[in-house]
Amino acid sequence: MVAIRRSGGLVTLFYAGRLPDPRRPAFAAALAEQRFRTIENAASEEVSVGWVTALDPTGDSFAAADLDAGVATWLRLRIDKKVLPKRWLAIHRDAAAKAKGGKLSARERRELRDDLMQRLLPRVLPTVNLVDALLFHEQKLVLLFATGRAVREAFQKAFFTTFTLPLEAADPLQLGLHTGLGDEQLTALERVEAVRWPDSQGNRVTVTAARPAAAPPTEAASA
Amino acid sequence: MNTRARSSAGTHGFLGEEFLTWLWFRWETDGGEFTTTGGRVVGVALDDLLTFAAPSDDETEQTLRHGLPTRTAEARTALRQGRRLRKARLIIAEGARQWTATLDATTMVLTGVRLPEDAEETESDQDRTADRAANWLLLHEIVRLLYGQFLQQRLAPGYLGAGGEQQAQWMAS
Repeated sequence: MVAIRRSGGLVTLFYAGRLPDPRRPAFAAALAEQRFRTIENAASEEVSVGWVTALDPTGDSFAAADLDAGVATWLRLRIDKKVLPKRWLAIHRDAAAKAKGGKLSARERRELRDDLMQRLLPRVLPTVNLVDALLFHEQKLVLLFATGRAVREAFQKAFFTTFTLPLEAADPLQLGLHTGLGDEQLTALERVEAVRWPDSQGNRVTVTAARPAAAPPTEAASA
Repeated sequence: MNTRARSSAGTHGFLGEEFLTWLWFRWETDGGEFTTTGGRVVGVALDDLLTFAAPSDDETEQTLRHGLPTRTAEARTALRQGRRLRKARLIIAEGARQWTATLDATTMVLTGVRLPEDAEETESDQDRTADRAANWLLLHEIVRLLYGQFLQQRLAPGYLGAGGEQQAQWMAS
């Protein structure tokens, strides 16, 4: 086994609703349902997204021990992407133009590209991206070890497809909703406006609440 | 300079920036020690990266790196201009454990995190994974509890005349 990382970036995601207990077979079965499927031999540009485990990058098995991370469950999403290498396309296009003795027409360029995709793509290996996350079942929390938007969205989509539960990113509002505030504070949180801190060119110290851009300037709260 | 621009992502990005600026305020005025619910004592300090939010869409962010950026004249000037922190590298300690991480306040995303050293008794990868998972969770919990503590003050009806006033004086000093 390999150990989960001890450095890097993370996005906090919350979910509401019931998830199968990760220690039960139903959880592994749900992952297996959305397991990774290889596109190694695909003859077209494709993206494949699916679950694997840290010990089995093929998606063939989801042993409970491979998912076990003590207080958490170790999820791993594999994202493979196969695209026609642009440089190879350019090389073949230049060669065809040279053989023709002039520029290729749009139709010729399209036909060349289609031909290359059929011939080259089965030989092109996809790029592999393994995205780790820790799921804390008790806290209804997922810590995703990827901060890019595209990967985060792919993970959220895979999670939803697998468990039919949406994941909410913990921005300042969402995180605030998970800090145990009372009803009045929750209302205040949703309505809160930014503080307009003073520019202290003089000695006057004023704190005022910000208003929406269209509103007139606020009175000083204190001096 | 009246800072009411919401250049950040989402509607509450400013609140994350206020939280980060509040951490700095508490660190300088109270030593950065926080007792959270449950009696957990956590120490927080700002490290070697500060990014001040742009006051408006037309103005630029300001980033200070290396050394002790909180002690620089540029940082002090930014505070006097009422600018909030958008991003900062934090050192967070609880007992013998220490984390470092850069917090992007508008999204609450943590980057460049370093967990505490693995516990000595962890011998297998399985043990290390369990130990690290617990440390990742603890980091999240600490940030959540600190943010909760900030919100308790920030959302209180008298905030502007109490904690907000004190912070304004600190920023202007």
